[in-house]
Amino acid sequence: MLGRRHLPRTLTIGSVVVLLIVVLAALGPWITPYATDAFAVRERLQAPSAAHWFGTDEFGRDVFSRVLAGAHYSLLMGFGATGISLLIGVPLGMLAAFHRGWVEELIMRGVDLLISIPPVLLGLLILATADPGLFKTIIAVGVVYVPIMTRLARAVSLSLLAEDFVDAARARGDGAVRILWREILPNAWPPIIVETSLRITFAILLGSALSFLGLGPQPPASEWGLMIAESRPFIEEAPWIGLAPGLCLCLLLVMVNIVGEGLRDLLDPRLQGRGHG
Amino acid sequence: MADAKTPLLEIRDLSLRYATARGKVQALDKVSLALPRGRAMGLVGESGSGKSSLVLALLGLLGKGAELSSALAQFDGQDLRKTAAALRGRRIGMVFQDPSAVLNPTLTIGYQVAEPLIHHRGLAERAALARAVALLNEVGIARAEAVARSYPHQLSGGMKQRAVIATALACEPELLLLDEPTTALDVTVEAQILDLLDGLRRTRNVAMLLVSHNLGIVDRLCDDLTVLYAGRVVEQGRASEILQTPRHPYTRGLLAALPRADQGRLARLTPIPGGLPDLTRPDPGCNFRARCAFAEEACTAPQALDDKAGCQVRCHRADAVAAAPLPQPEPMAAARKEATGAPLLIAMEMSKSFRLGSAFSLTFSGGLPRLRRATEVVAVDDVSLHVARGEVLGLVGESGCGKSTLGRLVLRLLEANAGRLSLDGQVVPAVPGVEFRRRAQIVFQNPDSSLNPRQRVREALRWPLIRFGLADGAEADREVDRLLELVRLPASYGSRYPHQMSGGEKQRIGIARALASRPDFLVCDEAVSALDVSVQAAVLNLLSDLRERLGLAYLFISHDIGVIAHVATRIAVMYRGAIVEQGSAAQVLAPPYHPYTEALLSAVPLVGAKTRVRVRLMGDASTAPSSTGCRFAPRCPHRIGAICDSLPPPVRTSAQGHRIACHLPVETLAALPPALGRAA
Repeated sequence: MLGRRHLPRTLTIGSVVVLLIVVLAALGPWITPYATDAFAVRERLQAPSAAHWFGTDEFGRDVFSRVLAGAHYSLLMGFGATGISLLIGVPLGMLAAFHRGWVEELIMRGVDLLISIPPVLLGLLILATADPGLFKTIIAVGVVYVPIMTRLARAVSLSLLAEDFVDAARARGDGAVRILWREILPNAWPPIIVETSLRITFAILLGSALSFLGLGPQPPASEWGLMIAESRPFIEEAPWIGLAPGLCLCLLLVMVNIVGEGLRDLLDPRLQGRGHG
Repeated sequence: MADAKTPLLEIRDLSLRYATARGKVQALDKVSLALPRGRAMGLVGESGSGKSSLVLALLGLLGKGAELSSALAQFDGQDLRKTAAALRGRRIGMVFQDPSAVLNPTLTIGYQVAEPLIHHRGLAERAALARAVALLNEVGIARAEAVARSYPHQLSGGMKQRAVIATALACEPELLLLDEPTTALDVTVEAQILDLLDGLRRTRNVAMLLVSHNLGIVDRLCDDLTVLYAGRVVEQGRASEILQTPRHPYTRGLLAALPRADQGRLARLTPIPGGLPDLTRPDPGCNFRARCAFAEEACTAPQALDDKAGCQVRCHRADAVAAAPLPQPEPMAAARKEATGAPLLIAMEMSKSFRLGSAFSLTFSGGLPRLRRATEVVAVDDVSLHVARGEVLGLVGESGCGKSTLGRLVLRLLEANAGRLSLDGQVVPAVPGVEFRRRAQIVFQNPDSSLNPRQRVREALRWPLIRFGLADGAEADREVDRLLELVRLPASYGSRYPHQMSGGEKQRIGIARALASRPDFLVCDEAVSALDVSVQAAVLNLLSDLRERLGLAYLFISHDIGVIAHVATRIAVMYRGAIVEQGSAAQVLAPPYHPYTEALLSAVPLVGAKTRVRVRLMGDASTAPSSTGCRFAPRCPHRIGAICDSLPPPVRTSAQGHRIACHLPVETLAALPPALGRAA
């Protein structure tokens, strides 16, 4: 054990990898070894090699360049959509827990309504009203996950509201906002963070699925889900076209989850000075 | 079977170490004890003393990371270390603290009692169920057959604990291990269970090892006593002898710290200073010396368990300790007894009922759908009380009687259905203003739940100061230091999180937070019930000092009559939502009293009062049906007749303001024997 307050090791590894992916994604379009839309018909469907790390696709485009250039779509999708569902869902859930009665009924029945529609269908519905595009996909995916965040935030807040320190705040005459912000939210974070990291992964997957259905960024853009969709006809002769973005997605998801769990432990004052192996 | 001379259970030099993140913790250090057939031994110590670990070690139920070693561990000639798994549930029965947690909510009571018979004895299910009914009968459950068919949630706490005892008895055990068997129960129910256990010991000749923090219970039930401190046996011998003349400073400290109902109002209790030693580095010398008033140079040497007058004592100064007089608690000076001045807080005719389930439910009657209003439970029914400046009104009653609800009603934390409230002559509206919030504060029972785990002490104490505009900036910091000093904690505690403090320290922070707004009135809702005796004494002393220094008025809610008798100037006794008796402490603790008060006082387990008259109630508050008359009538031992069931009892008020709600004339009530064993 080093020092009194060191980071959990998993958190360190996870954050380094996620940070690396974020930096690569941000720089992606500028550092690609090849142009992402440069056709090279003579080099089509080549296996991974020193020249083309992840091989080439059916038009001879460099898969590595395309994965690099498409990374920011996936990241924006995951973090953006989850951010939206957090910003809407958590306050709604906390309000529902605090104001029992008709406010709660209104919020929770609305949420039930939303949850009863399958996510892909809901995404399709939202996107059907407008032209496809990245930011619309983000909003659509974000809205799809609002009910989950609302329910979680409500459940966590309900048990916290039964604690005596909330009664103490009421005995001081503190208002709803103060109680929710100072007494409930800091204690509600751990489960919400874990759920958020899970949600990021699901949002990326759902975003990819919507792209796959042709509702996200449109070709020739190189979004990961789109790439996987486009690779389908060649899955036998050139599996790397789909595998490369798929494995990158996989790595990102695992690391985001590890960071989520690490953050939960780090933010818990009860675990300070103990640290994990 | 071994011959009668060898003890049924014998352990010698049992040591136990747990591996934790902070290193190895020495939970038990060479504990020895012997328990003959049919005898009962009490195992006493504060939390962290290792008493529950010892029980788990005997049952072979310790988890991973526990290192157990012993020179001998025998049960009836068999090596417990090898056979514990085969013995438990068969020849060794267990009863744990919380019956609601022990019983499986999805199985019938009868099946749960029959289960050990089916699994251990190979009985057919039908025969086992018949036996279960007989067992339920034996533990004093009326209508045993109906109870056997019911599920745990349909029974009251006392009934559940009886069922658990029946389960433990199913395979005719020779030894019962009882881990705080009555701690989760009300005092009148506790008395019933203790009677039951005492009877079982005689009829079945079963040996008992009773783990308890309550010396009164041990004195009531046990022949022998083992006192554990931080994993070591400090005193062992006959219970009556040890409780009469404690020879170890720790035992002595426990007795002196105990508020006792039969001693009435005391000036001060004697707490044991400090806390448990660090068990990761066991002290080779006496591990109590840091907290001991008798400590001297030689205490750093290892102490052996020596034989003193038939008792084993681990203290080389045992003779000096025994010879020194017990700190005689001085009664409260008469001058300070009576509060003066007009009432500060007056609550008139407060009522509160709770709805069960949703407001309306759809039912079908005669083939037609009907909307039915949900049933309501009346928690507080038309209660009036007042608290004067500098006065402590003790509110005592069993769980579910509505005392906590009443405490929250007078703070307007719950919306009342009816009633008026005034503070200092000013009417308090249903949504009170800032000034009322500042002047009326609350201290909670559970120190873990009363502080926000994510807030440092300084943050928690600063906010009320800023909220009520009492201090700001550097001035607020100085005020926080002053508050910490007020509850006798060093200023360095400001930077701590709740999990970095002990239960007693957390409770002090809870008190400091309530005091931050400089209130006049404090509701203490079971404020010391979750604390160990030694810590409880210190917090009680602190509360009474604060009352004197700051002129605070308390509404002190507790189920512990000993604590109430110690702190209260006036006492109100509550039963099923109503106050049945109210008067000064001396009036309430001596006849004439309400039959319920009598039963309550008589049920309190006291140290050294085995001969007093016992009044036992049947059932418990939740099982009694409600009636239009006196709510206590179904359980009342002095019930007159039909009048008790049909007419609400009149409130008889004496010239001194002592009020009793009972049909019986005051003269009859005055003739009742003193329930505390002597005239209080």
